[in-house]
Amino acid sequence: MSMHDAIVLGSGPGGYLAAERLAAAGRKVLLVEKGALGGCCLNVGCIPTKTLLACAKHYLSALGGGQFGVQVERVGIDWPAMQAWKREVVDKQRAGLEASEKRLGVEILPAEGRLLGPGRVEAGGELRQAGAVIVATGSSSVVPRIPGTQGNPKVVDSTGLLELAALPRSLCVIGGGVIGVELAGLFASLGVQVEVVELMDEIAPFMDRDQAALLRRAMKAVRFHLGCKVESVEGASVTYRAKDGVEQKIDADLVLIAVGRRPNVTGWGAAEAGLDVHAGAVVVDDRMRTNLPGVWAVGDVTGKSLLAHSAYRMAEVAVADILQSPASGPAPVSRMRYDAVPWVIYGNPEAAGVGLTEREAQARGIAIRKATVPLRAVARFAAEHGFSAPGAVKLIADAANDRILGVHMVGAYASELIWGAAVMLEQELRIADIKQVIFPHPTVCEAIREAAWEL
Amino acid sequence: MAQVLVMPRQGNTVESCLLTAWRVEENEAVRPDQVVCEVETDKASFDVEAGTEGVLLKRLFAEGDDVPVLAPIAVIGMPGEDWRAAVSQGVGQVQDADAGGTPSGTGLPASLPVASDDRPGPEAGPERISPRARRLAEAEAVSTAALQGTGPEGRIIQRDVEAALRDRPPLTAAARGAVAAGASIPAQGTALGGRVGLADLAGPAAGPAPSQRESAPPAPGAPASGYVETPLKGIRRIIADRMRNSLATTAQLTFNGSAPAAQLLALRNRFKASDPQRGLAEVTIGDLVNYVVARVVPRFPELNAHLVDGSLKKFEQLNLGVAVDTPRGLLVPVIRNAGGLSLAALSVETKRLAAACIAGTVKAEELTGGTFTVSNLGALGVESFTPVLNAPEVGILGVSAIVPRPVLGPDGTVKIELRIGLSLTIDHQVIDGAPAGRILKAIADGIGDIDLLSWGR
Repeated sequence: MSMHDAIVLGSGPGGYLAAERLAAAGRKVLLVEKGALGGCCLNVGCIPTKTLLACAKHYLSALGGGQFGVQVERVGIDWPAMQAWKREVVDKQRAGLEASEKRLGVEILPAEGRLLGPGRVEAGGELRQAGAVIVATGSSSVVPRIPGTQGNPKVVDSTGLLELAALPRSLCVIGGGVIGVELAGLFASLGVQVEVVELMDEIAPFMDRDQAALLRRAMKAVRFHLGCKVESVEGASVTYRAKDGVEQKIDADLVLIAVGRRPNVTGWGAAEAGLDVHAGAVVVDDRMRTNLPGVWAVGDVTGKSLLAHSAYRMAEVAVADILQSPASGPAPVSRMRYDAVPWVIYGNPEAAGVGLTEREAQARGIAIRKATVPLRAVARFAAEHGFSAPGAVKLIADAANDRILGVHMVGAYASELIWGAAVMLEQELRIADIKQVIFPHPTVCEAIREAAWEL
Repeated sequence: MAQVLVMPRQGNTVESCLLTAWRVEENEAVRPDQVVCEVETDKASFDVEAGTEGVLLKRLFAEGDDVPVLAPIAVIGMPGEDWRAAVSQGVGQVQDADAGGTPSGTGLPASLPVASDDRPGPEAGPERISPRARRLAEAEAVSTAALQGTGPEGRIIQRDVEAALRDRPPLTAAARGAVAAGASIPAQGTALGGRVGLADLAGPAAGPAPSQRESAPPAPGAPASGYVETPLKGIRRIIADRMRNSLATTAQLTFNGSAPAAQLLALRNRFKASDPQRGLAEVTIGDLVNYVVARVVPRFPELNAHLVDGSLKKFEQLNLGVAVDTPRGLLVPVIRNAGGLSLAALSVETKRLAAACIAGTVKAEELTGGTFTVSNLGALGVESFTPVLNAPEVGILGVSAIVPRPVLGPDGTVKIELRIGLSLTIDHQVIDGAPAGRILKAIADGIGDIDLLSWGR
């Protein structure tokens, strides 16, 4: 039997950051990972898609260079080279992660771990004990019960799609959420004919409705079929029933299933250990504590906010709770808050947002003020993308006290500037406060300032 | 014709009074001598009488409000009369005839602010707070009504607002707005970095906020029962602020010593047995110690002084503060020109002030202007303690019980001697250790040789 201060199950963003923080605080940490270090995000999710997207953007820039006086000839795609670049980025990131974990003294155990109970884990054929156990087992792609999808070599999930040896000519994406929209945008940018079939009436259900429509229209190379239910898949032919009840068929080279992810709550002893699992997720409080003493859970497995950066924050909250001892005085406030978690869709163009959408505000009975400013109103955006490029910022404020409730944006740089909006929400800034903030000029983020003056 | 009852003026230095309790409900009949409400100044509390017969039509302030003197606090008239008319015309002012000061001839400006029931009263007048402090308080949504000023004459200055800011968690921008509108601040916030956000505030911004100090919810995690929670109010609050401020802003330390008490006790016994006509029969040990202090302290000008904003003000005259234990808490009335009083006069004045403090009839000006303070706990058997400076004063003498102590006589034998304990706290910012020791020795020598004190130079 081996003893540790803390054992972390799973090395995705939540797991590896928790291990790092605990080790940095002098704790003896065991990080258990059955797959590749870094989890889905680093190996088959965020990082590889963003790398390929960078390749696609270079390609598009080359193609569109003429508008800006750049003559480029013989523009082409070298998919194997793009894949090689993706592998290089992922491998180097993973090596860097491993080095930094080890430098901090984290023991990495490549094995399957199993929670036995409070403070007890079985991993690598050995019983291991620790004062704290952090469950960070992540999530998996949902496999829908659609006839013809099981065991069909023409049907892939996001992991399979990113590993393709050659680009398909056409792709049918089932699901218009974040992953479906991102990958549709990526492959459409690379010249693949992409069609998206979405059950709901609009893509990206968490987005503000105006903004979702704007994003969808901006993705001109992708055909969207909204309000359509997929009936069956045969080979790479997708049969769906449209809103009007008429059955339609899409013949593609490949089918991507992207209907979402669900927490991994089985296969590692949750039920046997007595962990409270409800609605397919491990139940946690705002300090990421589970029902078992000494067991915390962070990241996708909690089902709260399936985003890598939410997992980071959850890990820090859990670590703060673990490091907090009664002797160290009154607890510093470290609680997980979900009302200012920014999100990003790395489509083409990007979209990002934080806080309430107009519809969510209405559902909560909050009277709002809102303003939308097209991005071409700011000079840098127009100069870089042209005067007809789609993009807008939408601000939503509480009519009662002028507090900013939501910031939503479609257009270039949205991913990089949305953190500023998250600070606005965390600090509960009001319209008048934002008007006093100095934004650099010329930048795309000035559109937020413009929108504040429109409110 | 409805009459406006105004906050009586309590001496020339008092700008505002804390309305601590209403004794009459609205629409209740009052007699002229009936107490309508209780108010507190700097350190004393008073009753405000109706002064006229009628019905209390309207209370214009809530309990806990800091009300500028001469501001209308209530309207008394006939049932059904419109109280607004009386207030807006500012006519028929009634004042407590016993309040002293300037009871008549004070015209009431028609523009005097009138608070509605559920809003805090007007903030202190312009002279009670410095412009910088006011700007900071407004920017940070600090209520100045509850602040105790540490500037000259109790004026609120920037550091007072900064101290209040240190005492509360940071607020988000929106929470500042809500607090400025009257919301209460909880002890802990749950927003970014422990900030207090809108969700942490007790109620909606526009909701009733009778008193910030009363409505703050218990800290998260506090047990729900099994204790009695009493918000610090009035004099207690002032004492709390003064004491904390004293310890926070001075470099005080205490020197302990003792003096032979044989002559003290002998003199006291002679006085006790003396002809009452001499006015010495009631003289106490405390009076004798105060008499010594009144003679010795003026010899050390740096001790009879105030330290304000890095500047030492030495006083020629000794105004001796005497700590008095009252049912409402510690009060320190001041004996003017104590060094110029005879022992008999000093004794009589001390008794008069102590009685007034206990009865709550002490005048505000009798509680200000001290230059050095004595705190005597000898009667309680205390053998040594560390008195806390009555800032901006720079010295305070603690007097302890007379206890038998062994002393080594000149012949080398150990004798038992009755000695009185003395604890001198000084502000090390202005008085060093050796001078403090000399001062304490001078006081102890004065007590030990009290029978000779009045005869030498």
